[in-house]
Parts: sequence; C-alpha cells; structure tokens
Amino acid sequence: MAVNRAGIVDYNVTALLSALGGAADPAALDRPVRDGTSLTGRRALALYQTQVESRHLDLAARALKARNECFYTIGSSGHEGNAVVAAATRPDDMAFLHYRSGAFFIERARQVPGSTPLMDMLLGLCASTDEPIAGGRHKVFGSLPLNIPPQTSTIASHLPKAVGWAVAIERRARLGLGPTDGRIAVCSFGDASANHSTAVGAINAAEWFAQRDEPCPILFVCEDNGIGISTATKPGWIASIYANRSNLGYVAGDGLDLPDAWDAAQAAAYWVRTHRRPLFLHLRTVRLLGHAGSDVESTYRSAAEITAEEARDPLLCTARLLAEAGVATGSELAAIYESTRTRVAAIAEECIKRPKFTSAVDVVAPLSPRHTDAVRAEVLRAAAAPSPEDAKPRHLAVQINRALAELFAKYPELLLFGEDVGKKGGVYHLTADLQKRFGADRVTDTLLDEQTILGLALGAAQAGLLPMPEIQYLAYFHNACDQIRGEACSLQYFSNGQYRNPMVVRIAGYAYQKGFGGHFHNDNSIAALRDIPGIVIASPARGDDAAAMLRTCVAAARVDGAVCVYLEPIALYMTRDLHVEGDGEWAAPWPSAEDHVPVGVGRTYAPADGGSGDLTIITWANGLYLSLRAAKMLRETYGIACRVLDLRWINPLPVEDIVREARATGRVLVVDECRRTGGVSEAVYTALIDGGVNLPMARVTGLDVYVPLAGAANLVLVQEPQIVDAARALMARPAAPGSAS
Amino acid sequence: MKRVVLVCPGRGSYTRDLLGSLAKAPVRAPILAADAFRAGLGRSTPTELDAAPTYTSRLHVAGENASILTATCTLADHALIADAGAVEIVAVIGNSMGWYTALAVAGALPLTEGLRLVETMGQYQANNVIGGQVVYPLCDGDWQPVDNTAVDRLLADVPGLYVSIRLGRQLVLGGTDDAVRNALARLPARKAGERDAPFQLPLHSAFHTPLMTATAERAAADLADLALVAPRVPLVDGRGGVWFPRHADPAALLDYTLGAQVVAPYDFTLSVRTAMREFAPGALVLLGPGGNLGGAVAQALIDERWANLRTKADFQDRQAVDPIVWSLTRPEQRRLALGAATA
Repeated sequence: MAVNRAGIVDYNVTALLSALGGAADPAALDRPVRDGTSLTGRRALALYQTQVESRHLDLAARALKARNECFYTIGSSGHEGNAVVAAATRPDDMAFLHYRSGAFFIERARQVPGSTPLMDMLLGLCASTDEPIAGGRHKVFGSLPLNIPPQTSTIASHLPKAVGWAVAIERRARLGLGPTDGRIAVCSFGDASANHSTAVGAINAAEWFAQRDEPCPILFVCEDNGIGISTATKPGWIASIYANRSNLGYVAGDGLDLPDAWDAAQAAAYWVRTHRRPLFLHLRTVRLLGHAGSDVESTYRSAAEITAEEARDPLLCTARLLAEAGVATGSELAAIYESTRTRVAAIAEECIKRPKFTSAVDVVAPLSPRHTDAVRAEVLRAAAAPSPEDAKPRHLAVQINRALAELFAKYPELLLFGEDVGKKGGVYHLTADLQKRFGADRVTDTLLDEQTILGLALGAAQAGLLPMPEIQYLAYFHNACDQIRGEACSLQYFSNGQYRNPMVVRIAGYAYQKGFGGHFHNDNSIAALRDIPGIVIASPARGDDAAAMLRTCVAAARVDGAVCVYLEPIALYMTRDLHVEGDGEWAAPWPSAEDHVPVGVGRTYAPADGGSGDLTIITWANGLYLSLRAAKMLRETYGIACRVLDLRWINPLPVEDIVREARATGRVLVVDECRRTGGVSEAVYTALIDGGVNLPMARVTGLDVYVPLAGAANLVLVQEPQIVDAARALMARPAAPGSAS
Repeated sequence: MKRVVLVCPGRGSYTRDLLGSLAKAPVRAPILAADAFRAGLGRSTPTELDAAPTYTSRLHVAGENASILTATCTLADHALIADAGAVEIVAVIGNSMGWYTALAVAGALPLTEGLRLVETMGQYQANNVIGGQVVYPLCDGDWQPVDNTAVDRLLADVPGLYVSIRLGRQLVLGGTDDAVRNALARLPARKAGERDAPFQLPLHSAFHTPLMTATAERAAADLADLALVAPRVPLVDGRGGVWFPRHADPAALLDYTLGAQVVAPYDFTLSVRTAMREFAPGALVLLGPGGNLGGAVAQALIDERWANLRTKADFQDRQAVDPIVWSLTRPEQRRLALGAATA
C-alpha cells in the first residue's frame, strides 16, 4: 500500500510546531529576522502565512481528490519560497507562472485588496464554472486584476511570450502608445523545463535583445527542485549554464531559507526594474508530495531520499527561523497552521457545491468569438480614400505590400516582425520599404527562431499591440507550432475571454516553385494548423482577395481577439497571367473597403456560359490557379462547364458555399494541392457528407510525401492534366438521383 | 463551534426604537469604559444618551453622539459574544464608521483607543457637516436588479457627486450640498424597504468621498499616535483587503483608516464577499444596533451566490431553517450566537 506522503509532510509540520515552543519578542517583528537581511520579522511572518495557505491548498486538493471532488493535484509544496518573488514584484508586473506557484499567487493577491485567492484556487481544483479566470476549464494560476495570464502546463511554452511582453511594453512606450510605468515581466519555470528548447530559446532571445541594447525587462525565475518528474537534475547544472552569461544577470537564492530568498528576489527584481535587462533568478527549492497526486515517488526515489527531501520542507525552515528570531512561538505558528487548515476546508465545502459545466456550448463559448458585423464595420472604419492607382491590376505581392502599408497607417499599434522583413524587405519583397516608412520599432528584423517570433507576437498582443509576425516559410512554422496551438489559441478559452492575444501570422507557403528550393521551401502540409481550435486561416490566391482578406484578419484580431494565420502562396506572388503569357488575368485591381471579404466566405467563379455548370471544382490558392486553367481546357476541349469555388478560408471553411456550389452542378471535384492525408480535401468531403450532399465526388491531391527537387516535384503535386482527367472521369459517372445535372 | 464573522454597523444605526437598549446590555464593561471616556471629556455619556426620555435628532442623530452610541452598543455586544464563547470569531468587518469599531472588536485597538478614534471622527461632525449622503436602492422590493442607468448618468453628470458606500444592492451617494440636492431631485422614486427613496441621511457628511480630504488630513495629524497594532482576528476592510493577526502592519493600517477609508468609497459589499470567500464562516453576526444591515449582508451573499442563495426568497427560506445572518435582537438568533445557557 502506498504511503500517504501528504500525511507525513503534514505531520512533520505539526510535530515541529508543537515542539518549537519559544517566546515571542514583540520587538522582533520590526527588526531583521537575521543579521544582514532586509527581511523583517513581520514580513517573514506574513510570508509564513502565505506559505501555509499554499500548503493547505495542496493538502485539501488531495483530500478532495479522495472524495472525487478535485480534478487536479499538481501542487506547490516545497516551492512555497516563491512567495518572495511576488513580494519583490508589483501587481502590475505581468507574471507568467508555472504550475507550482500557489504561494506566489497568494502573496500577489495580498497586494490587491478584494482578492480572494483561496476560494479562487479551490474553485479551480473543483473545476467549477465560478472559478474566476478559466471558468472551470482548467486549474490554472491566473487573474486579470493580478496581471497573471492563465498558464496551462505545456513545458516552458510561456517563456517566449514573457520575453515578448517585456520587449513590447518598451516598444509600446517608444511608440508613444503607453508608458511602461517601470513594469517588468516575471516568468517562472522549473529546473527540468529549463532544458526545454523553448526555455533555452526564450532566454537566448532575451539575451539577444540585451546585447543589442534593446530593453527587455524580464525576471526569469528558475525554481530548481532538483528533479523533473523522476529524472534528477544534478546539482550545479543550472548554474553552470546560466551563472556566467554576458547579457543575462544571475542571482541565486535559497528558496527554503526565507531571508536568503527574499534578499535575492529583492535584488533581482530591483536590478531588472532599473536596468531594463533580463536576469535569471535561481531559487533552490524541493519538491514535496511527488510530481502530482498520481505520481508514486517511491518507484524512483528511495525512502531515505524522500524522507531527506521532506526534512527540507520550507515550512519547517520558516517556522524554525521565526521561532529562533523570537517573531512567534511554536504555538502561535501552529495556530496559524491549524486555523488555515480549517479555513481552507470550510471554503472547499462551499466550492464543491458550486456549479460545473453542463453544456458544451458554454464550454466552447470564449474560444473564438466571431462578431461578423463588427468586423465589417472595423474594416470600413477610417477606410483609406480611393486612389487613381486602384483600378490598375497588380499581382499578389504588390497588393499584399500595399495592404500592409495601408494597415500600418490605420493602426499605430500594428507591428510587423520576422526574419529579414526590415532592411531587406522580405525574401520576396512583400515588406519592402515598410521599415523606412514606419520605423524600426514597428517593422523589425528578428533573430532566427520561429518560437521567439511567435512568442514576441503573443507578448506584444498581451501588451495591447497588434502584432503581425512573419514566418518566412511554412515549414519553419512547424518547429514553433505550439506557440499558436498550445498558447495563442487557448488564451481566450482558458481566461474566459478576459485575456486575448490578437494577431495575424503571415506565412509564406505551399509548393509549385518550379522544382526550386526543396521541401522546406515548398512545404504543403497545413494539417498541424487546421485542427487548432479557434484559429482563423486565410489563404488568398489573388491580389484583390489578398488585400481584402488581410484587412479582415486585422479587423477580426482587433474586434474578436482572433488569432489569424494568413497563408500566402509563394508561387503566385509574382504571377500576372492566367492562361497565356500577357493576358494579365491573374493581376487584380485594388479592392475598396466595401469589397469586404468576411471570414469563412468563399468566392465562386461561375462558368463562362453563364449556366450553373456541369461540375463544381472546390479548391484554393495554387489549386485555384490550376483549376481555372483546367476549367478552360475542359470547356474548350471537352465541352464541360466548370463551376469553381475558391475556399479562401481554410478555417472556418465556407461550408455553406461548399454545399451550395456542389448542389449547383451535382458533381464535385476537390483539388487539394496539399497532402492527401490530413489535407483540406478530407475536410471538404466531410463538410459535403455532413451537409447531406450525396453526389458523385472525386479529389486530386498532392502525395503523402516531402516535395522533392527539380522536375520530380511535379510528380508528387497536383498537375492540370490530373484535374482534367479527374473531371472527365467524374462526368462519366452517373449523376446522383435528383441532382442538378 | 460555529465559525462566524462579526459585522460592526455604521453610525446611522442607533435608531428611535433602540432607545433604552444599552441599559439592558448584560455585559457592562465596555459601556462603563465608554461612559468614563465621554464623562472625562465632559460630554453626554452613552448611558445618558440611551436613557433620554425621547429620541431627538439633536441628541441621537448628530454625529458627535450617534457615533459613540453606536460604537458602544457594538462593543457591548461583542463583549457579550466573547464572554459567552459559543462561537469562533474568524473575521470582523464593519460598515463605514463601523470600521473604527471593527478595529477595536478585532483587537487592533485597545478599547479606549477605539473610543478615541470614534469620538474624534464623530466630533469633527459637530456643527461641521460637509456635504451629505443620499441612500438609493439599486433593486426592487424583491431585491431583483432594476435599470440603474439613471444613477450612472447622474454620477457622470453631477459635479461633486460620488459613490460613498456600496451597501449590498443599495448605494449611498456622497456629495456637495448642490450635488445632494441634484441627486434627490433627479433620481427616480423608489422604495427602500418601507421608506421612500432617494432620501438623505440626516446630519451625515459625505464620508468616503474626496470632499473629506481635509478631514482625513486633520485626523492624520490628531490621531498620528493612535495605538494601532495587528488585530487578534482577521479584519476585512472597505476595499475587501484582509488585515491578518500578528503580522498586519500597524502603520499601513493607520494610513488606510485615516486615509483611503475616509476619502474613497467604502465597499461594504466587497468586504462581505471577501469575508465569505476567504473565511467561509457558518454565519455572520450583526452586532449592536446593526439589524438594519441584514438586508445589505443578505444581498451581498446573493450577489456571491453563497450557499446557493440566489433570491430574497432563498435567503428568507434559509433564515427560517438555518439562519446564516444572525441579529442579536432576534431571540432565536441571539441564542445561536450566545449559546443556550447565556442567551
């Protein structure tokens, strides 16, 4: 039978408190609790109270779990020293916290009257909809008034946005969009997650800014408990990496010893606040009660090791300190410990009676609000005046560049950043001249790290700016996907709409670059994007749609906090002609704001003869270009009239358009330039079936393979003849009963 | 033992029907102390005021007397409960002037210092009422919310008008004389219990508004030596902040008491909410002449949906079978607070 470590840890405290005795000296409250520290007895006693409250939440979680009333048992025990970090920082310092931050949360709440951290956290443990930040969707440390964005437990995934926030508040101030008020970012994580590439990358990014003398006021707090679930971190590992970096301050403190931790945290926070540079605060802690309630620590630690860790319990350390300093007697400390136990238990009884979700609609509600009319109004607001240049047809790259310039003029908070977007103006010159026109604080070259680029966007958005990060090639998105998947798109959901990170991520993608560049520059896989809950994916094929859809994305970001991905087909950037050289049919005029393209609405190219057509081709991006060319051949050579639907939006798909246009002809051919598995064609098929469409259907897609070099690329990508052949084969199949044809 | 929060009422609580109630208080020590304190200042003692043949505005409503009278009743009730030992006091809250009493009840001030604070702030009011306070309900007779855009508009439009106290689903506005006249004229007529609202609290200054800045400064000078210490039981203030035993900072407590507390809104509703959510008591006990705070406390509980209370009817049903708000003036609730033997 497993030993109840929570019971032992609890007993250790009560036993020590009853043995401590001592006599309290009233004068001890207002003098340093130990020579050489700035921590007074009074503050130390207050921190003890915080530590005790955090501990009892952990113990209550285990007790409630046994009653099946609690749904999360990863606790903060052993890490209660992190209260000193909250004490050393201000409630307006944005705090991105890891999952052992109970004491930090309580201590920060003390600084904001009206806060009720115990009940807030107990409601989270019970997954009640009354929980004030995530509304019962997850147990997170988060609060709007406490400036703690909710953080779920993807390892170290919050570090890039913490860096982003720190950089952004400074940039915002330089742009005259709001003062920093001396605020800094605080960001905590463990010794194990310090190994994660996301952590390494984020800290590297902070140093990168520092070495360029760009302010990046962030306090990294590594709470080093010496173990990551079951894998030990050797003593000295963290310090060996971070203690001697040129552009990163480093302060170490003993998180088990309040005065030491206090002095370290005070010094660290002060240094970051005054120098506006990053600093690594290394706080040594222990981990008690295992990784989580389900973790049987004895499978990887000996009983002696576990007992030794428990003997280093920070509550024991604090209690001894206070008694020895004459701040409080053992019985006074025991009174705090036991009254807190009773308090927490009483609050828990109220919390377990609080409501839980009963409706999926309610669960999903804050994920990605869509206010279509308001987005349209935002597009029309302060629309740019018409220009004689508008009517002149131009290709995709030019119109995107113009749209960016228009949006920069309209939105002073709009920022664009990525690799080579500034001085060079982008690999394909889409951002040409923007840095010159709008300044280096708004159009910025970043370091070569997509996690950081997206993290900067998340942080900038949380700082009230409107970021438009650029990912140079679609393949590069995949190494940083979690910043959008786990972080950006989950923020409104896990904060019940209280926090948001609106952004438009521009990504150059897809293949068809005449065999040049290989698979990384011709990536045609968007499956990893498509299933991200709440995401908006725009993918224009022509210049007019591109400009209108970029406006829509920015408006949706601003109005609804939308996280938009804007996928640009590289192969069509410079394309002017559709059928024959010089026809200019792929160039498009500049759209006015009235030519608004709502999210999730496709565009139909009706057959040239004005009829409904013989078959519907559903496609987008390069597929649209190929399909329109194939349609001409089908019409002229085989007398087959094609109706072509450009999806334009991959998420949400224009389902109504798909079903309507399919029914218009009675036959459907899906042309999907991406991979056959997990591609858009599967989603279109599903939409048709879900929509009750029972018609002859076929699809042509890319192969499930990496795009090779040279002419071999054409062997694995959809080609026009395939479209023609598939259309003819489809026409040969009998029509469905009662269909339009 | 039931865990309870004690509620200390504000100054306007000693009403006509309470005349003579102090004389019946079984625990005399705080009353004797208050009498001695006032006698030492050459002013009418609480016992004398309570024993007056008739209730008059001049004697009982004027701030300089109403404050000490209310505080003495509250302190007497607290002493009664403490002596009975039938409940565990887990936190103390107050409303407006009740904050001063709460400081004494929670042990942050010795009794005589508590009386000094009450007296000093009360005496500032003698022939020196600054502006006024207007009571206005934000709900109907069933405590259901109603359209309050008129209130928001008024606060936005009328110079010198402020929120003074948030009192459950009732608002106390504070303002200059002009602003008060304006509020009385422009707010739509409503019932506040049996009374017609809006109505002005007689002889009340516009406490908890910026109009009291000079008063706060005067108090900070006169009471700089107030012997505040950390309370013996947690105190929840008018911003919903908690002051803990042993380690609460007396300097900060003094600063709040004579600073923000005087010039910024007193959110009694929030103090109830914090007390419930941070201490989860089994009941709230209305001390002294605080029975009329019952509605505000109940409304705060309903706002918080505490114990699944959602309506006035829910609250009344709960009170009938297992009261959660206890008034010492109700015999059955008094028994709960004091235990059968001492009630």
